[in-house]
Amino acid sequence: MTRGMTLTFTLAIGFFYLPILVLALFSFNASSLMAFPLSGFTLSWYADLFGNAAFLHGFLTSFLISQPVGILAALIGLLAALALSSPRLAYRGVFIFLIVLPFLVPKTVLSIAQAMLMNWVGLGRGPGALIAAQTLIAIPFATTIIAATVIRLDKRLEDAARDLGATPWQTFRRVVLPQLKGAIGAAYSIGVILSLADLTISMFLAGRTQPLSLIVASQFRRELKPDLNAMQVVVLLLTALIVVASEVYRRSRARHRNTFAGPEDHA
Amino acid sequence: MRLTLHRAHLALPVALVLILGCLLPLLLLIAFSVFTVDMDAFEMVPDFSLANWAQMLTNPVFAFLIGKAVLSGLITALIAAVLGYPLALSIANLPIAWKGIAQILLLTPLYTGEIVRIYAWRVVLGSEGLINAVLEGLGLVDEPVKLLLFSPFTTHLVLLYNTLPFMVLPIWISAELIDRRLIEAARDLGARPFEAFTRVVFPLTIPGLGVGLLAVFALSAGDMLTPSMLGGTSGATPMAMIDNLFGTAFDWPLASVLALSLLITLFATASSIGFLLLRFKGARAVLQGGLK
Repeated sequence: MTRGMTLTFTLAIGFFYLPILVLALFSFNASSLMAFPLSGFTLSWYADLFGNAAFLHGFLTSFLISQPVGILAALIGLLAALALSSPRLAYRGVFIFLIVLPFLVPKTVLSIAQAMLMNWVGLGRGPGALIAAQTLIAIPFATTIIAATVIRLDKRLEDAARDLGATPWQTFRRVVLPQLKGAIGAAYSIGVILSLADLTISMFLAGRTQPLSLIVASQFRRELKPDLNAMQVVVLLLTALIVVASEVYRRSRARHRNTFAGPEDHA
Repeated sequence: MRLTLHRAHLALPVALVLILGCLLPLLLLIAFSVFTVDMDAFEMVPDFSLANWAQMLTNPVFAFLIGKAVLSGLITALIAAVLGYPLALSIANLPIAWKGIAQILLLTPLYTGEIVRIYAWRVVLGSEGLINAVLEGLGLVDEPVKLLLFSPFTTHLVLLYNTLPFMVLPIWISAELIDRRLIEAARDLGARPFEAFTRVVFPLTIPGLGVGLLAVFALSAGDMLTPSMLGGTSGATPMAMIDNLFGTAFDWPLASVLALSLLITLFATASSIGFLLLRFKGARAVLQGGLK
């Protein structure tokens, strides 16, 4: 690797992590003013966090909403990816357009249009609406992740299973699904992460539900306090945990698949 | 054979979900856009009227806001391309063991919440923030640089931060797909490294670049929170205006007209970018190869 490339990569990592590092720094800083120079080390902002009922409640709400979003996104992404892998899929262009639509339309516009529709047909906003809308946003991501693995599957394994007398469902259950577990796990975690990260959709569709992002946003408009830093760091660490766990899981599945699929995969 | 038939049918429930949840609300905007607001009852009534569309076409504020969003999207996409391209190539050239780590590092900004990113940048760029502290510490400036926060600079910097991974990932993937033997062949035939790049590598990565440009354009032109929370007085967006008309003014018809006009302009711009990129020979070759 050339020096220019190392430099590019290092600068990029610096850019990506600068805001996160500054947050972490101030979360341990013993002053309620977020200003340099730093005034000393403290853990009191973290202690405050555990006494803050609104934060804890918001965190629980966000977590409970993110779980169905992750599961639904993985399920729909799996269906979509399997459909896309079929050569018989008619109107492929239209189907792909529908799948990327939630990514292309500005989230504000989509959420407002959804809110108008729900209001018009008399449906209330709340956790259900939030879960549905966040799942829609996660579909393009979940589909891409699973489809990337589906197109690399060795079709001969399915043919072999069918030749040996397996029904289509048995073939899927015993041959295809085990090879997709890693990708499905990754799709689930991207759904959870996008749900936890969301503020825009919550602004329009949460109704009386108060996910963490909304609580933070309302605090943010008033004043910046260091206990917010501590909370952001906690949320970040939890998200990082999900990411790393899902990557480790995906890799262990991939290794499993390689030993299963035979030496061709290593070539 | 029945298995493949079944698989194609799996598209039906997915399409249904997307049509109901995504397409239907957007189509409903068309109906709402020709309705009228009863100003006495503060209610929308289904009386046909083109007054809202007329207002859209005659009031320059709407066109200005939409034009601004498109321009902001294009600028961010171009900067992201210029910065993201070398970054993607440098990741593609990392040793294999490093690539997984690079991917996690690259995606981390996406995993942080929308509000976390905005909040963090406010702490970095504020009057008493990191950048100003460093600048003052070095004696480069006497008083904090106010322009760092609540300016168009802030908006574009943070939009870039939010969207850069969407530029890097597709370019990286298309760089990984290049057959290294093509580059070696070009070198053997006497091409200098720069020539091998312009004649072989660059044309073959144009599809990735195209996907990146479209993704970054869509995300940054459609972002409301970053400009409104960090752009200061420059932070007006058509999305915020739609939000206002919808939530505060209860003028749903006008909100619908503005939303539709924005969508039409965004799709037209995105299609033009796609069309321009398809004129490159390399892009066509890769896409046709991919369709085989």
